[in-house]
Amino acid sequence: MTNNSQAGPAIALAGVNLSLGHGAARVHILKDIDLHIGRGEAIGLVGPSGSGKSTLLMVMAGLERADSGTVAVAGENLSTLDEDVLARFRGRNIGIVFQSFHLIPTMTALENVAVPLELAGIADAHDRARDELAAVGLSDRLDHYPVELSGGEQQRVAVARALAPDPAIIVADEPTGNLDEDTGKQIIELLFAGHARRKTTLVLVTHDPALAARCARVVRLRSGRIDGVTPP
Amino acid sequence: MSVRKIARPSGHWLSLRYALRELRGGLHGFYVFVICIALGTMAIAGVSSLAASLAEGLAREGRIILGGDLAFTLIQREAEPNERAFLEKHGRVSSAATMRAMARAQNGEPTLVEIKAVDASYPLFGQTTLDPAGALGEALAQREDVFGAVADPTLMARLDVSRGAHVRVGGATLEIRAALASEPDKLASGIGFGPRLLVSQDALRATGLIQPGSLVRWHYRLRLPANDASDAAAKALATEARTQLPEAGWDIRSRSNASPQLERNVERFTQFLTIVGLTALLVGGVGVGNAVKSHLDRRRDTIATMKALGASGRRVFAIYLTQVMVVALASGVVGAALGAILPFAIAWMFGAIIPLPLVPALHLDELLLALLYGLLAALVFALWPLGRAHDVPVAELFRDMVASQPRRPRKRYIALTAISVLVLAALAIALSYDRRVAIIYVATAAAAFVLLRMIAALLMVIARRAPRPRATGLRMALANIHRPSALTPTIVLSLGLGITLLVTVIEIDGNLRRQFANELPLKAPSFYFLDIPADQSSRFADFVQTQAPTAKLEEVPMLRGRIVSAGGTEAEKLKPREDAAWVLQSDRGITYANNIPNGSRLVEGNWWGADYEGPPLVSFEKRIADGLGLKLGDSVVVNVLGRNITATIANMRAVDWESLGINFVMVFSSNSFRGAPHNHLATLTYPGGGKPAEEVALIRSVAAAFPMVTAVRVKDALDAVGSIVANLVLAIRGASGLTLVAAALVLGGALAAGHRSRVYDAVILKTLGATRFRLLAAYGTEYLLIGAATALFGMIGGSLAAWLIVAQLMHLSFIWVPWPAIAAALAAVAVTVILGLAGTYLALGQKPAPILRNL
Repeated sequence: MTNNSQAGPAIALAGVNLSLGHGAARVHILKDIDLHIGRGEAIGLVGPSGSGKSTLLMVMAGLERADSGTVAVAGENLSTLDEDVLARFRGRNIGIVFQSFHLIPTMTALENVAVPLELAGIADAHDRARDELAAVGLSDRLDHYPVELSGGEQQRVAVARALAPDPAIIVADEPTGNLDEDTGKQIIELLFAGHARRKTTLVLVTHDPALAARCARVVRLRSGRIDGVTPP
Repeated sequence: MSVRKIARPSGHWLSLRYALRELRGGLHGFYVFVICIALGTMAIAGVSSLAASLAEGLAREGRIILGGDLAFTLIQREAEPNERAFLEKHGRVSSAATMRAMARAQNGEPTLVEIKAVDASYPLFGQTTLDPAGALGEALAQREDVFGAVADPTLMARLDVSRGAHVRVGGATLEIRAALASEPDKLASGIGFGPRLLVSQDALRATGLIQPGSLVRWHYRLRLPANDASDAAAKALATEARTQLPEAGWDIRSRSNASPQLERNVERFTQFLTIVGLTALLVGGVGVGNAVKSHLDRRRDTIATMKALGASGRRVFAIYLTQVMVVALASGVVGAALGAILPFAIAWMFGAIIPLPLVPALHLDELLLALLYGLLAALVFALWPLGRAHDVPVAELFRDMVASQPRRPRKRYIALTAISVLVLAALAIALSYDRRVAIIYVATAAAAFVLLRMIAALLMVIARRAPRPRATGLRMALANIHRPSALTPTIVLSLGLGITLLVTVIEIDGNLRRQFANELPLKAPSFYFLDIPADQSSRFADFVQTQAPTAKLEEVPMLRGRIVSAGGTEAEKLKPREDAAWVLQSDRGITYANNIPNGSRLVEGNWWGADYEGPPLVSFEKRIADGLGLKLGDSVVVNVLGRNITATIANMRAVDWESLGINFVMVFSSNSFRGAPHNHLATLTYPGGGKPAEEVALIRSVAAAFPMVTAVRVKDALDAVGSIVANLVLAIRGASGLTLVAAALVLGGALAAGHRSRVYDAVILKTLGATRFRLLAAYGTEYLLIGAATALFGMIGGSLAAWLIVAQLMHLSFIWVPWPAIAAALAAVAVTVILGLAGTYLALGQKPAPILRNL
């Protein structure tokens, strides 16, 4: 893959297959996935449990390597990158929001948000982290540890952390799954606001049809295959 | 953004920053780690600081201990006028004669004394303190027919006499005018078998004990002029003395090696204690490994999250390595600081009673070395689990993973582990006093680790393949032993090392006690009689046999001689093996004989005939000859009574030293010392060991009839040695105690680490109908099976290690002492079961509902 990051799609999957497990327990999870996601586009990934949504998200984020096919993200063929380069690439290009937040319990909110910036070697990591937390309305929670924050606040910190390095792509795995309805809405607003303001590509795994409908396109998965894309 | 433009993060301190951030939450899960490293480092730092403080004391007080800048010792003769003139040309000279003799109180009670006869210049350095205070010259002066004497308080207590009492030594009467409170040069004389009696040289001559061939040593101490008193000047003068007066045959020591024997013993003992300290670190290392593994298991989410945010596997490794080393450093510093206190504490508590010049000081180099050992031990045991952290999959954040199977870390981490093991072993060997012992230790420790891992694996295989028992409890126990992430390897390792060490110490202790308290006294003679004048030897033999008709008397001629050269190499230039070096260190008893002496057998060469008249021949003890690199036909030059005698090695003997009978390293052909004045040495052995009453009666009658003869009661001598050995064993026990604490902590830590899964198991099984008793029985059986198998290995391993030390290093006979070892093993199994069940009992107390909700 050439360095044509400005011209090509944000994410391009071609003929992607992935199986997990060993021996008799081996399961073919992703089957011949072809998918192009444009720059600045918002995509909803929907489908029943076990259809492969989260696994597809992990493949896009470079967290799982496909058994076959190509995965290109921001112009880079991920299968050609070694583990360390891939980690740094992810840190700068992909922001991830998890269903279970996954904040680092021994770090304050500010430090959590600064992690990807520090790992990328950015000098004013803490200043930028402070701005990101202010943007999600947590200026007064900078020095709180995750256990001192509510679930909604923790997920806001997670969103701020995902947005902080100004990544080209945000992937979110059921980001409202562990939150009540009102709090969930606030998080979604934050994610879409970030997407609109920064022109980032947003890939959202969700069970919620209403939430999926807010995306420009919705990709439906069933048994590891793309069952349909609306609008096509 | 392109991947090509991604720069490597520049923050060198990032790993440290993250490591410290994680530690802000406290040391939860690191307590065993901290204590293990601190204990091990403390043991090593304490021992080495104490040894360094002692070495500094010996160095600083060298000239006081030696009694001069240089000391020249002659055996059985005084210095010739030319020798004396040589010494007086170079500085101020003081002479002192030392010998063993019998002192008798007025009521006839005799006791062995170590006489030191001094001149008016004594001491050249330091102070002799008397009680009551007074001038030494005054106290020793002759008043009419009676000479003054200053006695060790022990002597006055033993003879039940007080100041002013008269005692007889040989043919002289001495008045004890003061007690000896301190003697500046006491340390250089080594272990004495009797208390000191300080007299003048006139008094010694008056006793009549100085006869040709008497075992008297003449020490000439030299005080160099102040402008020429450097170490270098002292050494140069020693060389000059050897060159100018080669026939003198004197033993020359300078103040920089005032007490080489003591220094060697300190170094040797330091090495043994350092080894015990290292063992504490190694046992603790298992705890370090467990702690790091549990810590990383708890941090898997954090690690996966960091990797999702852009941290590479290498970065994760660096962060946690930094964290582990920060904790290890802090623990090591605490341990080293505690160890540094040891010499001060000992000086403060026992300074007044220990007869050693302890100069407590902070020895930074020793402390840093102990810290280095601590850090290396932490590294050795932490690298493997840390290496695994490199490959924690981020995917765990997206799907629940059943406890992932531990797998080997990448090659680079395995290589790093191997390198740190090698560095630790190399350091332990390179810095040891006796490399052979260090190499044996490293090999034994490595073998113990490998064997224990193999035993754990074997135990798991047996449990897996065993037929499924019908009893649920036993079935559960077997399943727990072999299931993935079972506690078996950790318990086997920590318990196995603990029991092995415990049994080793118990067996060594038991064997030494047996030797000194039971066996030696039974086999050994009851008495040694020294300085039997040759012309009185048959009268002496008749007298003793009349007094003790059942006892067996053996009598041999004895001279003293120093090896001047062997195999054509000067004694100073010989490079003897460690266990043979003592033969060269001072004068040795030598004898001559027509026949092979009792208690030895010929192993090489031929014995000379009874009527041999050729050039002098010598029979050498085989092991010592090997240690000196000597073989049949080599020549040995021995200085006896100021004459160098050259003899050829005709044969080699193996000697049973443990019999404590009369044995000599060198036995010469009878014609070698013809005409040389000498006395006889005799032993008296009662069949089946002497009774105290008959021994005391005999010593009294011999002392009265033969005042010139010195009787050494072997029981008293063995008691003196035995009490020193008991103190050494006490120190080893103390240091081993630390290791056992570490082992117990590691075991407790391992069992506690398994507590979480025990709670889970217990709750699930309770919901399925298992009773508390059934669960307790299952877990109890599991601990019992693992504990018993490990205890068996520990007993075998510990006994083997003890045999290696007692038989191979100490060259004593080894007999397995079963009951204490079995008791220790049973106690260890009991501790395992109790510790395990205590945790399990807590697990059984958990209510299922709250736990099930969180599963």
